Amino acid sequence: MSDKPVIIIGSGHAGVQAAARLAELRWDGGIVLVDQEETAPYERPPLSKEMLKSADPTALSLLRKDTFYRDNNIERISGRPVRTIDRAARQIELAGGVRHSYHRLIIATGSTPRRLDVPGADLPGVHTLSSHADALALQKALTAGSRVTIVGAGYIGLEVAAAAAARGCDVTIVEFRDRVLSRVTSEIVSRHFESLHRSNGARFVFGAGVRAFEGDGRVQRVVTSDGTSLDTDIVVVGVGVVPNQQLAADAGIACDDGILVNPHCQTSDPEVYAIGDVARCLRDGEPRGQRLESVQNAVAQAITATNHVVSQSCEVKTEVPWFWTVQHGTRLQTAGLRHESDDIVVRGSALAGKFSVLYLREGRLAAIDTVDALKDFVPAKKLIAAGAALDPARAADPSIKLAQSQTDIAQ
Amino acid sequence: MTDIRRADVLDPEAPDTADPRIVVIDRDGEHHRLDWEPDQSLMEVLRDNGLPILASCGGTASCATCHVFLDPRVTAELGERCEDEQELLEETESFDTARSRLSCQVERSTALDGITVTLAPEE
Ligand SMILES: Cc1cc2nc3c(=O)[nH]c(=O)nc-3n(C[C@H](O)[C@H](O)[C@H](O)COP(=O)(O)OP(=O)(O)OC[C@H]3O[C@@H](n4cnc5c(N)ncnc54)[C@H](O)[C@@H]3O)c2cc1C
Ligand code: FES
Repeated sequence: MSDKPVIIIGSGHAGVQAAARLAELRWDGGIVLVDQEETAPYERPPLSKEMLKSADPTALSLLRKDTFYRDNNIERISGRPVRTIDRAARQIELAGGVRHSYHRLIIATGSTPRRLDVPGADLPGVHTLSSHADALALQKALTAGSRVTIVGAGYIGLEVAAAAAARGCDVTIVEFRDRVLSRVTSEIVSRHFESLHRSNGARFVFGAGVRAFEGDGRVQRVVTSDGTSLDTDIVVVGVGVVPNQQLAADAGIACDDGILVNPHCQTSDPEVYAIGDVARCLRDGEPRGQRLESVQNAVAQAITATNHVVSQSCEVKTEVPWFWTVQHGTRLQTAGLRHESDDIVVRGSALAGKFSVLYLREGRLAAIDTVDALKDFVPAKKLIAAGAALDPARAADPSIKLAQSQTDIAQ
Repeated sequence: MTDIRRADVLDPEAPDTADPRIVVIDRDGEHHRLDWEPDQSLMEVLRDNGLPILASCGGTASCATCHVFLDPRVTAELGERCEDEQELLEETESFDTARSRLSCQVERSTALDGITVTLAPEE
């Protein structure tokens, strides 16, 4: 039966979806899911949300119940990193030397938190957050009254800040830019989340990088780029991620801040696919392509790639990119990809705590952020997909349904 | 998406089990009888049995891809939808006030034994 095995490296959101989808499509050549982690495949978003908020080590949120893999003839190899890809022999080699042959290979190795290249970065007490093991360590460290310094006000940093504040920690956030979430959203949303964190006791240090971490045996101080020294008990670094592409690069597969793939998720070797955080998709008209870090993208690319493996189907799973974050109970949902130069329309009132920010490009809806205004999210995704032109005045009025702010422009 | 591997097509002879059972009607009208295990939400029952719902937010009422229709009496018994659930659902094309729920927001209970769940169309 297993004469045409598809091997998937990485059992995160992308890898598990790929395996499940192959089973759904009745791929009977063999499905093998390899991961370096020991645990059953799990969800990452709760690691920085629900899991940190309580002191009890909560159970993992599994991606599928543990009998799913056996029931679907998905062979799992866990606790074992893939060390090399031998494309000539169509084999992978695991740590320890065991080799497995593949018919097609899907690389879903995800990403790793970016490290700060400063003195003291390795001191005990300096955390990053990406795996379940990281979350457990951090959960233990966040004791009431401890001083927590978070480096980076991206969504991971801020989710950790919210959880730490809820646990009674004293929170300071150091951010290189002059506002929070600057990579993912506009000023108005940034300021809203900044004040949310301030009103929950967090302090911000903007416009400062980190020069060093200092301490005797474990971290005790964060020295910022302007020389200020902040006393601290623990540090959480959340300054973005880098794609886990080394395995592919070593095998001679084209990479450039991500494994380069075509819209079917094929790499420069057509028998090897890459999906999820590690993949950079090149499409017509986009000079450098796009690498997205979200569950939505991982799932969509898994479906696209497996469709292509099974039937050479050129059907690409198209969905407007989106992600969500929850901080202090406030939910931000983003759909589409914003440009700095987009025109901004605010719908609803930031003061009332419930609003959306629309990003219009040449009059068409390109992206949206909803802040506790989930109502706009589903229609906005459709309008973005359709490239709909909106009348800004109507779109700004929350008493008018978003879909009804569309202008008919004859083309 | 027509192929469903795990969910057994309804078989009236199937042996009884201790877990509550439900009947799920997929988007092709096919019926599946599934067990509802402890600690699973309704979404997890569907997903873990290979029914084609994306459930991409993992059950946090963020995505509306786990939308199902239940019998109006069941929906009434489940009580009010939370605000997030309501806001997401009422903007979907197939929203039905009496029957629509986000399956990730429905917890297991013996009162739900035997219910029929219909997958809503994909958005
Ligand atoms: C704390 C946290 C919170 C998040 N919150 C959100 C959110 O709210 N919303 C959202 O949309 N996204 C969120 N994300 C991002 C989202 O989780 C990722 O985009 C998604 O997990 C990417 O899926 P993936 O399969 O590409 O990678 P991953 O899920 O990271 O899986 C990659 C897997 O590959 C394994 N691996 C790597 N190298 C090897 C090797 N050589 N051999 C074997 N195995 C290997 C890794 O151990 C890992 O298990 C969050 C991420 C984190 C870390
Ligand atoms: S799984 Fe996303 S809303 Fe239910």
